[in-house]
Amino acid sequence: MTKLNSTAVIGALVAMSAGMAVAGNVKQSRLNLNPGAVLTIVDGGGSVSLHAGAEQQVVINATTYSDKVEVDARATADRTRGEVITHVLSQQRPSADDARVDYDIAVPSGISVIVNTSTAPITVEGVSGDITVSSDTGQIVARHASKSHLHVRSINSSVEIADVNGTHVEVTTAGGPVRLTRVSGPSVEVSTTTGKITYIGDCAGGGKYKLSTHNAPIDVFLPETASVDMEARSSEGSVDSDFPFTKKDHVSYPPTGANQGRAFSGTSNSGLSSVDLRSYSGRIRVKKQ
Amino acid sequence: MNCEQLQEILPHVIDEGGNAEAESHLTSCAACGELAHDLKHIATQAGLLLPMHDPGPRVWSNIQQSLVSEGLIRGGRTPGSAGVTAFPQRLSPPPRAWTPLGSFIAAAAVLVLAVALFRYTPSAAGTQAANQSSSGDQQLISRISKSDPAVGRAYEESLKQVNSYIADAEKAAKDNSSDAFASEQLVDAYQQKAMLYEMAAARSTE
Repeated sequence: MTKLNSTAVIGALVAMSAGMAVAGNVKQSRLNLNPGAVLTIVDGGGSVSLHAGAEQQVVINATTYSDKVEVDARATADRTRGEVITHVLSQQRPSADDARVDYDIAVPSGISVIVNTSTAPITVEGVSGDITVSSDTGQIVARHASKSHLHVRSINSSVEIADVNGTHVEVTTAGGPVRLTRVSGPSVEVSTTTGKITYIGDCAGGGKYKLSTHNAPIDVFLPETASVDMEARSSEGSVDSDFPFTKKDHVSYPPTGANQGRAFSGTSNSGLSSVDLRSYSGRIRVKKQ
Repeated sequence: MNCEQLQEILPHVIDEGGNAEAESHLTSCAACGELAHDLKHIATQAGLLLPMHDPGPRVWSNIQQSLVSEGLIRGGRTPGSAGVTAFPQRLSPPPRAWTPLGSFIAAAAVLVLAVALFRYTPSAAGTQAANQSSSGDQQLISRISKSDPAVGRAYEESLKQVNSYIADAEKAAKDNSSDAFASEQLVDAYQQKAMLYEMAAARSTE
């Protein structure tokens, strides 16, 4: 019984210390920025979560996990620019865990946002405007935006964009997979080297869609109602489609001879949106949803 | 105006817009039109990623000297005004100065972009610059690995893959010199490499 009690006490202490270790110190800051201002957020590790704010101020909730770092949140006097930066205190050499900061930031409409992280994942939820997010290895997720500009860059992290319409979307990643679900706009461009690209949606809006890889596959899933003018080509990979396209009479790269199975072009419905799929050696596949 | 004449003045065209003759050529020539579009795109994106870190005159001077010594530009033209690099103006005093690594990487990124530009008329200078960027890769990896080995490995792997992409695209462009698709792939490949350098430059200023 005594042994059991001791075990329970030790267990409770361990649990408490673990809880203390992960419980961070939350600090709230507010920035007053004019419409059209640019907000820059720089974080190493931790996480960055952006969402639409109900107030006119930028509201920053920053959770730190050590006293070796602090958060600088400031705006210029003319309110045209703000920045939120994780700052290591002098003489301190924090570990990766100590240096992480979790940001939860409410952004009013009309503010352009630039987020730059190293390993911290970035989530953008319901924020519209000019959004630029960049992470070396942190996952990037953007959802529920309209009539915006969304620029995404990563080294090898995954990128997921969903339910975004009327938006200029540009994604460049060297190695991370990219998945777009119900994404449409005047221009949607994704470029990767080794990251697989998956597009699920109808390429609506009469926009220009371009997906390209070096050696990674490209999968496109279209509903039968999609109105697209599509060209697909892989220099050394295969290209196949089970989508009911109408073949075009005049094509720049006839899918015959050595090109057989490496290119196709066709239209569906009125061919409103231009869709360009290209790879050097990756497989390209277009399927009906 | 032919392609060669247009490419002579392309940096000016990208930066300030061309005259009627240049615009006419860009409209009628798909290859030059695409090239101009892609370079404008790179310049714009470089600007978006580096909004608060404008290199000082000494950095521009070093970049210019590098480009001149590689034969990529003639003396007297400043890269900042040539439009190849479009770092925006600061709105207020910078929060911090560029580190030496940031300056180096910025210069290397300019070289990568310049190689992409001059690949359309392959020259010894372009090849020389491409070789130099390989040593740039090593320096970039080494510096990033010092601050975070795991991220350094991510850059190393990505650079390896992107260099492979460039090699494949270069071969395809060489084997199919009249194929616009092959040329576009080469630009895509260089854009990928420029992106890596730009991200490294932004990181080095943190």
